[in-house]
Amino acid sequence: MGIVTVLWEKWVEFRRDFYKITLAAMIAPLMYILVFGMGIQTISHGQPYLQFLIPGVVALTTMNGSFNAIAQNLNVQRLYEKAFDQVMISPTPLWQFIAGQIIGGSLRGIYAGCIIILLVLPIGIPLRFNGWSFLIMFLNGAVFSTLGVVVSFYARTHTDVPRFSNYVIMPMAYLCNTFFSSDNIPHGLREVIQYLPLSQTSSMIRSIANGEPFSCTGIGILAVYLVALTALAFCYLYKKKNL
Amino acid sequence: MIELKNLTKKYDDFTAVDDLNLTIETGGFFGLLGPNGAGKSTTIGMLSTLLLPTEGEILIDGGQLNRKNTALKRRISVVTQEYSMRQDMTIEEVMEYQGRLYFVPKKERREKMRRLLEFCDLMDYRRRTVRKLSGGMKRKLMVCRALLTEPDILLLDEPTAGMDAVARRQMWNLLKKLNRNHLTILLTTHYMEEAEILCDRVGLMDRGRLEEVDTPRAMIDRLGRYAVDQTSDEEMSSRFFKTQEEAIQYISGLKRDASLRNTTLEDVFLKKAGKYLEKR
Repeated sequence: MGIVTVLWEKWVEFRRDFYKITLAAMIAPLMYILVFGMGIQTISHGQPYLQFLIPGVVALTTMNGSFNAIAQNLNVQRLYEKAFDQVMISPTPLWQFIAGQIIGGSLRGIYAGCIIILLVLPIGIPLRFNGWSFLIMFLNGAVFSTLGVVVSFYARTHTDVPRFSNYVIMPMAYLCNTFFSSDNIPHGLREVIQYLPLSQTSSMIRSIANGEPFSCTGIGILAVYLVALTALAFCYLYKKKNL
Repeated sequence: MIELKNLTKKYDDFTAVDDLNLTIETGGFFGLLGPNGAGKSTTIGMLSTLLLPTEGEILIDGGQLNRKNTALKRRISVVTQEYSMRQDMTIEEVMEYQGRLYFVPKKERREKMRRLLEFCDLMDYRRRTVRKLSGGMKRKLMVCRALLTEPDILLLDEPTAGMDAVARRQMWNLLKKLNRNHLTILLTTHYMEEAEILCDRVGLMDRGRLEEVDTPRAMIDRLGRYAVDQTSDEEMSSRFFKTQEEAIQYISGLKRDASLRNTTLEDVFLKKAGKYLEKR
């Protein structure tokens, strides 16, 4: 099964770069929690700000973990190492290759998210994470892994992926219901931001963490993004004349 | 059997391959030769499905080759011109990855990997990452990787570039042996000696068009089996003769030093390439 082959390849990479991957997943989120949550001690919605912040940081870490695991790696394989050519030439069905990348990326996202959950445990903020939280993290990771696949396929140079990260991923990390509620964003922009995948993920994980019910519409929205981005990736692999 | 029918590849206004028609019989060893930019690698690119033809089709034993036809892709292995491998993987991992991509059963792929790496003297380096290998070792690894899947068709885009003379001879012996076992091989190379020794038929390409297809021997015979080289301070020139007697007679009439030798495929290529350049 081609999916297992891709997962094997991701495992080899993970095993070799374990410390680098783990440290990279920890540094930025820890800074956010230290600076915004513990350094600048504030109260939000009548609770410590950390209560609001941590689920948002878990969501954005999942996003970054998944996107970075796929986009840059695949881009280098395609444009620099040409290793992607061997996959295209091989009889492994291309849909299985994409599925493997999505699952592998999602698992890396979950791994990064879990590190943050473990790191904030000693702080003693009463937050809950259950099976739904991990399902949502997986789905969020799947959306951003697929985005990583699409961006790496359509990138023309090595610098296109970091550029995309700067223009799209980083603003999302700050604006999508992570550091502050998107309800505070001006009308018009608020509606756009609310329907972005990270906003939905943050909102759902936060609701679960606080023991509140969450809207399943968010899962539907993530699924729509996943289907649309997967279609774009397929379109590239099967229709593009020159890879 | 590989059939290329009216195969054309265009990049905007530039035609890289122009209405290419070619048949390679099962078990054949075909060499595609031509100057840089002739369209050889583009042809290999289409055969490996990395590039989709603008027009025309590729048939393998009657079945149309495309990106979705995994059954046909299973039968083809490609050694690309560039080192198409993950630089951070070890030799062992590269082979393992290839075996998995081609669904080679675990036991079989481990056994074949060992045999191929031993044959190519790479066994001792199997835990070394690709990044740390020399150019020749990378090239050998690419060939090993292509053979791991026991293909019916092997596409080689300058497979011995960067190899030392000993390794190249080893590779030639291996390719000849594989071809004797009915492996169909399509080779592009800049080493004319390689094509002459290995290929049973060669095709000369220029500006995307296949100008001539024949056996190396027939091409050499048409030019003349014997070559007389004359060297002056300005240039080196060669004249070709059908018989040895004609060549000797020509030399005896010369005032300058000259040498007699057998004509090679390189002479044919240089002669043709000169004509192509004149046409341009």
